[in-house]
Amino acid sequence: MTPAAGRYRRELGVAGALVLLLGLLTVIAPAFFGAANLRDLLVANAPVLVAAVGMTLVILARQIDISIGSQFAICGVAAGLLAKTGLPMPLVAAGAVAAGAALGAINGALVAGLGLPAIVVTLATMVVLREGLRWRTEGVWIQDLPERFQWFGLGQAGGRVAIVAAAIVVFAAFAWGLRRLAAGRAVYAAGSDPEAARLVGIHPRRVVFATFVFMGALTGLAAVLTAIQFIDVQTSAGTGLEMKVIAAVVVGGVAISGGRGTLVGTLLGVTLLGTIGPALTFLGTQAYWERALQGAVILLAVSTDALPSLVRRRRGRA
Amino acid sequence: MAAPEAAAAAPAPARTGRGGHTHEWLLLALVVAETAYFAYAGSNFFTTGNAGEVARASVEIGLLALALTAVILTGGIDLSVGSLLGLAAVLMGSAHRDLQWPIAAAALVGIGVGVGGGVLNAALVARLGVPPLIVTLGTYSLFRGIAEGFTGGIRNYTDFPPALLFLGQGRLPGGVPAQVPLLVAAAVFFWLLVHRTPIGRGVRAIGFSPEGARFAGIPVARRLSLVYVLSGAMAGLAAVVYAARLGQAKADAGSGYELFAITAVVLGGTSIFGGRGSVHGTLLGLVAVALLQNGLRLSDQPAELAGILTGVLLIGAIGANRLVAERSRA
Repeated sequence: MTPAAGRYRRELGVAGALVLLLGLLTVIAPAFFGAANLRDLLVANAPVLVAAVGMTLVILARQIDISIGSQFAICGVAAGLLAKTGLPMPLVAAGAVAAGAALGAINGALVAGLGLPAIVVTLATMVVLREGLRWRTEGVWIQDLPERFQWFGLGQAGGRVAIVAAAIVVFAAFAWGLRRLAAGRAVYAAGSDPEAARLVGIHPRRVVFATFVFMGALTGLAAVLTAIQFIDVQTSAGTGLEMKVIAAVVVGGVAISGGRGTLVGTLLGVTLLGTIGPALTFLGTQAYWERALQGAVILLAVSTDALPSLVRRRRGRA
Repeated sequence: MAAPEAAAAAPAPARTGRGGHTHEWLLLALVVAETAYFAYAGSNFFTTGNAGEVARASVEIGLLALALTAVILTGGIDLSVGSLLGLAAVLMGSAHRDLQWPIAAAALVGIGVGVGGGVLNAALVARLGVPPLIVTLGTYSLFRGIAEGFTGGIRNYTDFPPALLFLGQGRLPGGVPAQVPLLVAAAVFFWLLVHRTPIGRGVRAIGFSPEGARFAGIPVARRLSLVYVLSGAMAGLAAVVYAARLGQAKADAGSGYELFAITAVVLGGTSIFGGRGSVHGTLLGLVAVALLQNGLRLSDQPAELAGILTGVLLIGAIGANRLVAERSRA
């Protein structure tokens, strides 16, 4: 195996699985490739990809954020309420993104500032934010939104294009920045060895804080891109989003121990997990098995990673 | 090199022991304060009947939290327990209704499913060496997904026989809810296992340093396997209690329970990084959260306040822990 192929083994593996799935669909259910279905698939997964970009940053920095489902709900509600005050849509979107960044900053301050473990902090903020939102809104959906809220006022077709375009721009910008900018490399450095990163002049705590702020901002954007697809804003939106997004990132090969992985892998992970559900319907299976299959894919992806080292260990012992 | 290191390490147990006790005394004070406040503010809070209700409502989460204490002491985590509870409950319901098995056999199916799920987690964590967060995130989806697929997303198993419903809804002589002895037995078992056996010492050692534990001759893979299998078994047992209490089993049974259980464990002072913590701390954490939920309800406060206060307590608890740890290091 060439060094490049070895380094991108997981990406290649997931790409292979995706090609297999698509090949199967070509043979058995070519209707899957109908323009309308592909379009729905893109629109449905664009917000997931945006949130997954943020989660990739957080996990690369050796952290985790399980509060994004609650952040998502709050930002969606914020967007709805801002739109009802009569603000123009670009400002509404900016407001929701800012709200997300502020929520991310809370996590970042607790994790990077006080040095508390991210999984416990974000477990707590997940519950506090979700229950706080339910308390304020009493579960009532945000309704009677202005005309220009749905699809950004661009009509259904234009709105869909805008949603997918926004996701592509975010993905491309962060993929480029992570590879080419010093700040991007600092995320890898802080995640693979915080002490070494500190010695070369990077401030790991600032990096961690920044990744949580980006995570929140991107969650806010994902919430806007989702909210504008509907007439009302659901206050219970985003439940379980964190598991879905973390799963996609992990399947894409980003190491939970930090410092290793690429956004291309994340894109493949989002695509593979997002394709499974609709593919099941087209293959004539009940969609209820979607989650089981996603779980199986996660386990398969991470075990194939572990197998070579296991074999080596066994040989070493013999 | 080895000698000074050993000397430096020697006072550590005493120090962590004292820090741990501080935490537990604070938690006990919190529980007393909650009781006093709700006895004043709530109607019918300070009654034996309500004490029974609090205990009854805590059994499933309590069983999961006890097992998770051992898991988290190794530095691991098990996110799959809520999903596994759902799967075990559904398959138990199916064994009883579809296969017409007697309820005792069906309950064994539930526990068996739990053990099986635990074995899968154990194999992936202990044998393949995959990080527990990832493994149990995968099985979190897998178990819930199988439950959803199996029931077609809608089937709900009901009409459990009175014998099972007594376990969930009945009272023993003296007014003790019928399922509470199960929690007590599990608590005694886990307390002895964690605090009074070499296995428990090994579990903590793994949490402090897996590599060090291996060099000390602790069978790391076997100990890790044990805690994940026990975690699965408790999820299966909790499924039986759940079905008995609610008289039904659906695919969404136990959703989010893993988070409640982890909250009880961490609030109880067990370090999420492993090594430090106690079973009695977890029990106090469990009581603190359960009293909060019950007391707020009985004093006509919004239900959401329980979640908000629990989250704030959680951050406060680890923040305080951190300060204590820093001061003792200085």
